[in-house]
Amino acid sequence: MGIGPESALSALSALSALSGSSALSALSGSSALSALSALSALGTESPAQAGALITNRDGIVGTRIEHIADVTPGLTDSPQNLARLAPNVRAAIYQSELGPSVDVSFKTQDDQPVATLWRRSEERSKRRAIVFDELVEMTGPTVQQLETQLKHVAGYAQIRPDRGAEILSQMGVPTSFFATIGFIDQARTPYTIEFLYTALGFSSAVIQRMKYALAVKRPIEFSPQVQPMIPTPTHGSLPSGHATEAFLMARLIWKLLIHSKVPQYNDHAYWGDMLMRQAARIATNRTVAGVHFPIDSAAGGLLGVTLADHVFAMACGGQWASTAFNGPNFDPRDDFDWHKIYCAADDKLKNEAVSDCGVWAKSKTHKEPSGSTPSPILQWLWSKALAEWQDLRPDQV
Amino acid sequence: MTKWQTGFDPNAGLVIDQITYFRLSRSPHNYPVALENLWWSVLLELEDTSIDQFEYATSDFANDLLIPIAYDADDRGRVLPSQPLVIYARKPLIEALNLLDNPYQVISVRLGATTPERFLDQTASAENTSEFRVEDDTVITAIIDDGIAIAHDLFRNGPVSSRIHHARIFDAEPEKTRSHSSVGRALDRAEIDKLLSDCTFGGMLDEDLFYARTGQVDMSEDVFSTVALQTSHGTHVAGLAAGYSISDACKNRPIICAALPSRIVTDTTGLDMIPTLYLAFHILAKQARRFRMHNGKRAPVIFNFSYGNTGGPHDGTGIFAKMFDFYFGENAASPKGHEQTAWLTLPAGNNNLNRLHAIDDPAASSDTTMLELTVLPDDRTPSQVQIWLPHSLEDHQPDLASIKVTAPFEDELGLIRTQPGQHAALLNSDDCEVAWLAYQYVGGTTERGLVTLSINPTGGLKDRSDTAPAGVWKIEICRSTETNEEPIHIWVRRDETLHGHKSGGRQAFFSNGTYKRFGKYGEPLAVDPPDTDSPVRRSGTISGFACGATPITVAAYSEQEGELSPYSAAGPLNPSPNSPKPMRSGPDVAAMGDESQVLRGVLSAGSRSGSWVRLSGTSVATPRVARAASKDIADFKGDGRAWCKVAAKRDPFELTGRSLKTRAGAGGICIPVFDDEAPD
Repeated sequence: MGIGPESALSALSALSALSGSSALSALSGSSALSALSALSALGTESPAQAGALITNRDGIVGTRIEHIADVTPGLTDSPQNLARLAPNVRAAIYQSELGPSVDVSFKTQDDQPVATLWRRSEERSKRRAIVFDELVEMTGPTVQQLETQLKHVAGYAQIRPDRGAEILSQMGVPTSFFATIGFIDQARTPYTIEFLYTALGFSSAVIQRMKYALAVKRPIEFSPQVQPMIPTPTHGSLPSGHATEAFLMARLIWKLLIHSKVPQYNDHAYWGDMLMRQAARIATNRTVAGVHFPIDSAAGGLLGVTLADHVFAMACGGQWASTAFNGPNFDPRDDFDWHKIYCAADDKLKNEAVSDCGVWAKSKTHKEPSGSTPSPILQWLWSKALAEWQDLRPDQV
Repeated sequence: MTKWQTGFDPNAGLVIDQITYFRLSRSPHNYPVALENLWWSVLLELEDTSIDQFEYATSDFANDLLIPIAYDADDRGRVLPSQPLVIYARKPLIEALNLLDNPYQVISVRLGATTPERFLDQTASAENTSEFRVEDDTVITAIIDDGIAIAHDLFRNGPVSSRIHHARIFDAEPEKTRSHSSVGRALDRAEIDKLLSDCTFGGMLDEDLFYARTGQVDMSEDVFSTVALQTSHGTHVAGLAAGYSISDACKNRPIICAALPSRIVTDTTGLDMIPTLYLAFHILAKQARRFRMHNGKRAPVIFNFSYGNTGGPHDGTGIFAKMFDFYFGENAASPKGHEQTAWLTLPAGNNNLNRLHAIDDPAASSDTTMLELTVLPDDRTPSQVQIWLPHSLEDHQPDLASIKVTAPFEDELGLIRTQPGQHAALLNSDDCEVAWLAYQYVGGTTERGLVTLSINPTGGLKDRSDTAPAGVWKIEICRSTETNEEPIHIWVRRDETLHGHKSGGRQAFFSNGTYKRFGKYGEPLAVDPPDTDSPVRRSGTISGFACGATPITVAAYSEQEGELSPYSAAGPLNPSPNSPKPMRSGPDVAAMGDESQVLRGVLSAGSRSGSWVRLSGTSVATPRVARAASKDIADFKGDGRAWCKVAAKRDPFELTGRSLKTRAGAGGICIPVFDDEAPD
């Protein structure tokens, strides 16, 4: 299955997403990834050369060599292999780690749909046992709330001419918008891009499963006056995939900056705030375009920052956070405000987000389960990405 | 098939203002709510009475009247021979006030814009007008505009410290508690600073959140300001007039500002912002008086109002021209001890080439002037033409001309004479009125007859039963033997949709074939050809606001070519015996409005801190002059217009081209902005 972020599916890569073996290239909404493929082509053989290689072998092969020298076996299950694998192969391996780390269940509670994302946790015992903890619980909004939210959509439509270029550019993965803040470039930070796209690939399945479970209707189904300026995706409205992906990317980049310990990034929250502003603008632009309600962004934003924590904990271990989004308690008169769910200065989720209707978002921090270890594969990727942000030292070769 | 009906309405001759009468008599679908429930801003002129007396006299209409809290006890108790008053009112009261023989001492009525009732606050308490002390080198800049991004860092002297001491936002829902404004919101500096602080995260201001908290933008409630866009007029203008780098930590250039309603969404009867402008000026004049310097004097203030219009008598007696003098002129109504040096900068207007002005010249060979007025299709707001007659006394209003109007594709004409009570209505085949032609006398110091032609919208989405036909309307002005030697001037009122606004207006214009638009090489002609026989003229296109005796009126030039920008409007004015002396012949000075003809406009503040955007026009040339004036106003011996002459000589920008006197006054002036550091 080609797994790609929601945004990538509607971009140029839609066709390549159909290719089952190429998960990473399915993510390539940006030209950066295309460039990566082009480079890797230099080291491989083209089918067009096959005829030449056959006759060439016939010309030089000679008599069979009888005594082959000792060959040591491959290094089994070792991240050291990863650097020698093609990006699309690595992508599949990353997903094999992340994909099984979660599960989704669904129930109806007080007539509202509730989708729960579970986080896998292993318990060591004689037999291998797996338990799941709640990672994200998401309760869908009422139709009446969405009717009220439609006023925001109508209001935001007024600034479409102002945001049109951004909205069209952000139909694909908005890497270039984050690359204007963090110095992200295929030549300079290839593993950072790989890390971000790995997280996006993972989030895509989660997003689509949550959307599918909650089945929240899009603005276009509420009024003939919405008239979105881009096609409305066929999947559900809440949580917003763009909001999830943008906040996921923003927080992971921010974590890289923080952990780089580089002076200009370290302890300077404005880097984190700027990344979050970018994510919020991308999310809001979807409301401007007429394809999302603000409450979709609130749910997506919360999901995105939560998944960022999860991906980070998978790679580096340590504590993780669970969250709950209670749609009916979101005041439908309110707009989306990311500050209510997350604080960039300390890279922490807010404990509660409250409206006049009640607590609509909650978060809880959990200690690292005893005995659990981070994924060596994801740890390798993280360390490679992190190294791209650390200052070079004079004694480095 | 349309038909004209003449002299059928006995009330038509009994009203003060025909435009008000027209706008209150449209079909119900033209109003956003039932007309009886609709609140309007209205500018009145009261004669020999006080505001308190007026309120008492109109007590039968108490539920239809809101006198803004900005009129304090002093204002309300003062009996003056003539004074302006802005009220918010509903139809029953407005109709009563608009009668010539009204018992409320109201001598003029000007209907403004509809105002959502939720923006009004009947319970607001008095605003703070107490004085405070400032340094002796303080100069205040007062900006009246729309879309002012008050959190922009060019208007701050620290991360959470604003230089804006008072901001009035007309398009906003009032504060739920402690409201000090009868319309919209009033924010003082402490409140702005608190909001700045509340909306700052990680050392950075979240400006989207800030404007949601100030009430300027609420997408869910259709509260909109152009500060939600990349470009906002008021921010650009304020940046040029009074923007200084935040790192300059400027302390002695405080700003006060009023953000006017930026759009009328559902009122399709027209838009007139003079009433809210008057109220904004009243509010800011009071706020300006709070700045008392240590030397005991009030800090000087420069008002910048970068708006223009095309209507009005253009003789210095218009209602706008009188505004500044009422507050700051020699005979200002303010109590003694309130003396304050105040200058006002205004744009000349951008209508030089827009074909909105025509003249019926008595010197012409024919006694008949034929005008072709092209009214565009899908115009969602009315089109209006004003025909200003020569000066006459109220008790002797000569029959100077007959005015004939023919609708597109029709032969039948409507005809009125320039006499009280004369009117005609154009009815469509369903007997719906689609146009209104009427005479009125404008008293006060203007003393002229005025004929207005009001044409309904030509398009609409709700109900098209009373749309007017688009196409060429013919207006024929035929002078009678009583005509004196003064020309009759005709102006089409401004009716276009500005950037970021959605009123849906489309500008009607004169399309007479005799008007020569281009020179022999295809270039637009910026000045009327000397031998023109066209009644449509570039001369006299100066903004109707900019004709008073005291304001500094600013034209625009294009820097690279060293020429006036082609759109920069021209004098001369239309003098009358009552015009103030000395009369102006056009703008006072020209400042940069464009970098070049291909790189139109100048850079200034965008809606968000750190952003720069480009806007063009006399409205961006004007705040440049305001900025330069702020450096000299404290020490200059003379008025603002005299200063212009000195400044243009001191920092000249050489201009070429014809008719500079009526288009550029004292000439070009060079005013740097980008390397201009805040004064110490």
